[in-house]
Amino acid sequence: MTDLNQIDLQALSAGKKRVWDNFVVASTPLINSVIRRTLASYRLSEDDVLDAAQDVYVRLCANEFRLLKTYDPSRASLATWLAVVARSAAVDYARRRRQPTSALDDVPEAALAVEDKHVEKLKIPEGLLTERQTLILKCLYDEERDVAEVAQLLKVDAQTIRSTHHKALMRLREHFQEEKPSKEGG
Amino acid sequence: MNTNRTLQTTPVTEMDLAAWLDGNLPETAAARVEAAMAADPDLRNAAFELADILGKPLPAAPPRMAVRAQALVGFEVERQAPRQSWLASLFPSFIQGLAMQRGAMAGVAVMVAAVGFMMGGGLGETYAHERYGSNFVAPFGSDTTNDLNDLFSDIS
Repeated sequence: MTDLNQIDLQALSAGKKRVWDNFVVASTPLINSVIRRTLASYRLSEDDVLDAAQDVYVRLCANEFRLLKTYDPSRASLATWLAVVARSAAVDYARRRRQPTSALDDVPEAALAVEDKHVEKLKIPEGLLTERQTLILKCLYDEERDVAEVAQLLKVDAQTIRSTHHKALMRLREHFQEEKPSKEGG
Repeated sequence: MNTNRTLQTTPVTEMDLAAWLDGNLPETAAARVEAAMAADPDLRNAAFELADILGKPLPAAPPRMAVRAQALVGFEVERQAPRQSWLASLFPSFIQGLAMQRGAMAGVAVMVAAVGFMMGGGLGETYAHERYGSNFVAPFGSDTTNDLNDLFSDIS
């Protein structure tokens, strides 16, 4: 089976049938996984998965492969770029095919049960933390991700996440301690 | 610490996000993507999902998915000459068969004109026979050979 890294991008963008066929075979496992993951929360059918995948390929080859020609191999791997494109196409597809909402009376009460948990979104003063510190705090508190997940996303080890998290909290503490006496005094 | 910087939330392109996921962005560009992600839960969610998928072995896709996608691009010959005529297909070396088609049409027109001219002469002769009866002498036609024979026999 052809690997995505072995695809001749020039021939692919030129519309060479055999290269396109190899590209499709090499990319379908990735496109399939991205589409299924993205559509999972929309409760769409198997046909919808196939149609959304077809949308991805139509995007890639439309207008003389215009989208494919925007891919820059010096910036990202073809697999990563394809995954991003596939997700974007799947989200668009899901929005077009959004399931009609059910009447509230038709939904069993158990399905409507919501845990009584008040979550206040993190509000970080602008410019106080670095972009990475802010992102880590958002992931850990707003998204409730664990340290390992965030470390995987940012391609650093878990200890780096803990350390950045700690520094961010220290900075926030300093900031609010500075603010508190001035408020009390004024 | 970075107290004076403000978070920039300029749009992140698909290429930017892919480059960020691969860890290929320089610090400033990466910070811009991270600021956008911190501000946008959907973008954050997308990044988590994609990082997870890209870090795992992938299951095989249904065969129909590949078959349908492969059908989107045809062979070069099919794509370049979708409405080529039979005449052009006989002469593929001619540029798109157009010059050959025009040449052939011009040739056919000349042949039709020539046949028409000859038939027109024949019809004219028949018409003259009908109009003038036996007094009509064909100026040049089926009797030409006999006239020439008469001429040569007179000379001799």
